[in-house]
Amino acid sequence: MKRKVKAKIYLTILLILITICLAGCWDSLELNKRSIVSGLGWDLDPKTGEVTFTVQSIVPGGGQSSSNISGQQQGGSQTRSIQVDKDTGPGMYDAITRLTQHVSRFPFYPHTKVYIFGKEGAQYGIYQFFDVQARNPDSRPNALIVVSAEKKASDIMNIPDGLEKIQAFGMAAEINLSAQYSKYPAVTVFDFQKRIMSKTTAPIAPIVGIAKEIGSEGREIKKLRVAGTAVFKGDKMIGELNERESSGLLWAINKVKIGFITVPEADLEVVKAKSKIIPELQGDKIKITVEISEDSDLVLFKRRQDITVGVVRELEKDLEKEIKNQVMASVEKSFALDADIFGFGEAVHRKYKKEWKELQPKWDDIYPQIEVEVKVDAHLKKIGDIYKAL
Amino acid sequence: MFLEKGKISNFQLGLLIIGFVFGSSVIISPGQGAGHDAWISVALGLMESLLIVWIFTTLAKQFKGMTIVEINSLVYGKILGTCISLLFIWYLFHLGAMVLDNYASFFKLEIYANTPRIIIILALVLVCISTVGRGIEVLARCSAILVPITILIAIADSALIIPQIDLKNLLPVLDVPISQILWAGHAAASFPFAESVAFLMVLAFVDITENVSANFLKSLLIVGIILIIVVARNFAVMGPMAAITNYPSYLLAQAIDIGEVLTRLEVLIAVNLITMGFIKVSVLLYGTVLGLAQVLNLHSYRPIILPIGILMAILALTTFGNSVNMLNFAQKGYPVYAAFFQIGIPLITLVVAKLRKLNPTGGSKA
Repeated sequence: MKRKVKAKIYLTILLILITICLAGCWDSLELNKRSIVSGLGWDLDPKTGEVTFTVQSIVPGGGQSSSNISGQQQGGSQTRSIQVDKDTGPGMYDAITRLTQHVSRFPFYPHTKVYIFGKEGAQYGIYQFFDVQARNPDSRPNALIVVSAEKKASDIMNIPDGLEKIQAFGMAAEINLSAQYSKYPAVTVFDFQKRIMSKTTAPIAPIVGIAKEIGSEGREIKKLRVAGTAVFKGDKMIGELNERESSGLLWAINKVKIGFITVPEADLEVVKAKSKIIPELQGDKIKITVEISEDSDLVLFKRRQDITVGVVRELEKDLEKEIKNQVMASVEKSFALDADIFGFGEAVHRKYKKEWKELQPKWDDIYPQIEVEVKVDAHLKKIGDIYKAL
Repeated sequence: MFLEKGKISNFQLGLLIIGFVFGSSVIISPGQGAGHDAWISVALGLMESLLIVWIFTTLAKQFKGMTIVEINSLVYGKILGTCISLLFIWYLFHLGAMVLDNYASFFKLEIYANTPRIIIILALVLVCISTVGRGIEVLARCSAILVPITILIAIADSALIIPQIDLKNLLPVLDVPISQILWAGHAAASFPFAESVAFLMVLAFVDITENVSANFLKSLLIVGIILIIVVARNFAVMGPMAAITNYPSYLLAQAIDIGEVLTRLEVLIAVNLITMGFIKVSVLLYGTVLGLAQVLNLHSYRPIILPIGILMAILALTTFGNSVNMLNFAQKGYPVYAAFFQIGIPLITLVVAKLRKLNPTGGSKA
């Protein structure tokens, strides 16, 4: 009996020991052998077809205030928290392998927050990158797509953002924030893939550029800034939307969450917004109705006047006009580019699947001729703590 | 001849069926050929498989307490019966190898990139061998623990992805030609639902046989509905991407992001594959060795578990050189190949048994 108990105890110990031996996998790579990548840059030289691969990695233990380390590149007593390495090769993987010649650790991609494309490369076509991205099990579908306003991706990967230690995380946060306030779209890999796989819908991505400021002592300070929306056709960037057009785009594709709208007499805060794209086939012609309904609060009224029912109605009308103008601005721009950024084609496809088979091949010709009507239903909800002028 | 002394309850059988049908379909979506109408295909496949299941459970009911091997030798006579039984056993064996292949391909691609394939496969097969050696009861009890976990993970995954669901991705309904949807539906019936024909080796050991048929259909409905939800959800979140990726559920789990806290849950899908793959391979290995033991008139099936298991692993290692071959076979060949075993053998056996007016209780010559 006792022997049996003893044997059981030994067996338990043996089992525990076995789990220790078996834990971990064949290809484990310890943290101190990896460099954790926060942002990836991809460029393609249109003339030579050479690919430049830029890796922004997180420096372990970086970003802390310490005086005994001499790596004080950004002034102050902080060590640098990111390192940017790049290399060029005839193909993407050539560039990546060449990195190993001057990078001490192997890049580890699953924590990448942003994929940045240089403008030149984006204009040439970025299909290659998305192929690698989708094929590679290490990549994440939630990373953000960014187009650099400068020629090369690496141009914007070294500009520090004051608040965030890791620049790419800061960039991602800026994009998400500007998307939250309905300025520019935040586009994840999933979103981009969905659009690139659609036969008609044009992919979009936010553009991040450099804003220069003159700081104290006349020193030039460079900062990152979301500065537009890149419009792709297939995998090639063909144009961009400005701030107003980007907002209009967000209104039409139901991506407005919160944000502020300025009408001549007042500023209003959007609290709720919803939009719908309703296609209609009228003989040969296609008519698209964009129905937007939104609720907003009054945050600033410029006229020194009491808010009456009449004023509310007037403000609502102004608001509707402003939203409509924003949407129409983006529609006109997309017609000029002949790029279906709104997914009108897919909307037609969803409703008229039989007719779509004939429409789809000539969609590029049809698209600029579409009649677009924007119907806005704006409601003013709250007017703030005062109901009379000061 | 009683090689197996264990008995499983109806409830355990239900869970075992659910686990078996989940199998590798926790990572590979059925109905892939139909684009975003895949969920319709899966629903059609489920209906077709309910019919198939009805056929073979009727057969099992008519010959209570007999495995397909015993039924065959009773219905067709010794020689022809043995031949048909060997074909059926080959199917179970081959299917087991294919599941192992799926399992290894997934892990090799997504998780253990540098681990040799043989290690990944052996790690699973050895566990299956050990379990099968302990009989069907142990396996059924395993499923009682593992299957609820899998269902829980599937539901949790679906719940956490709700913010990213866009039902527009599922429109327009019936976008691809009907023939394509029907074919994808048949493919969905052959993988994974009707693969449960392997239970013709297990049904003999259910202790109460009255409502086995209803129980079987109920379990299949549960897993079928979960799979329909999973497939529809995959397309609603990923759109066309779900149709071109090898492991849509895994990719979807990568996208889960609740406040940047609840992220990187994809490994749960891998956990599901380990547990469900274990159940599926075990049932198939069990069917293979028990069938062989009955065909060869052995006193026990235990001595042949190890060699058959290793052979299964070897077949898995050598059948398909790469996933393109596997996919090609899965989409074009398998639905036809499997139909012979899933529909053909049970249906013909049932018809022949009816024609010969066999009285199963009296037929104890096996």
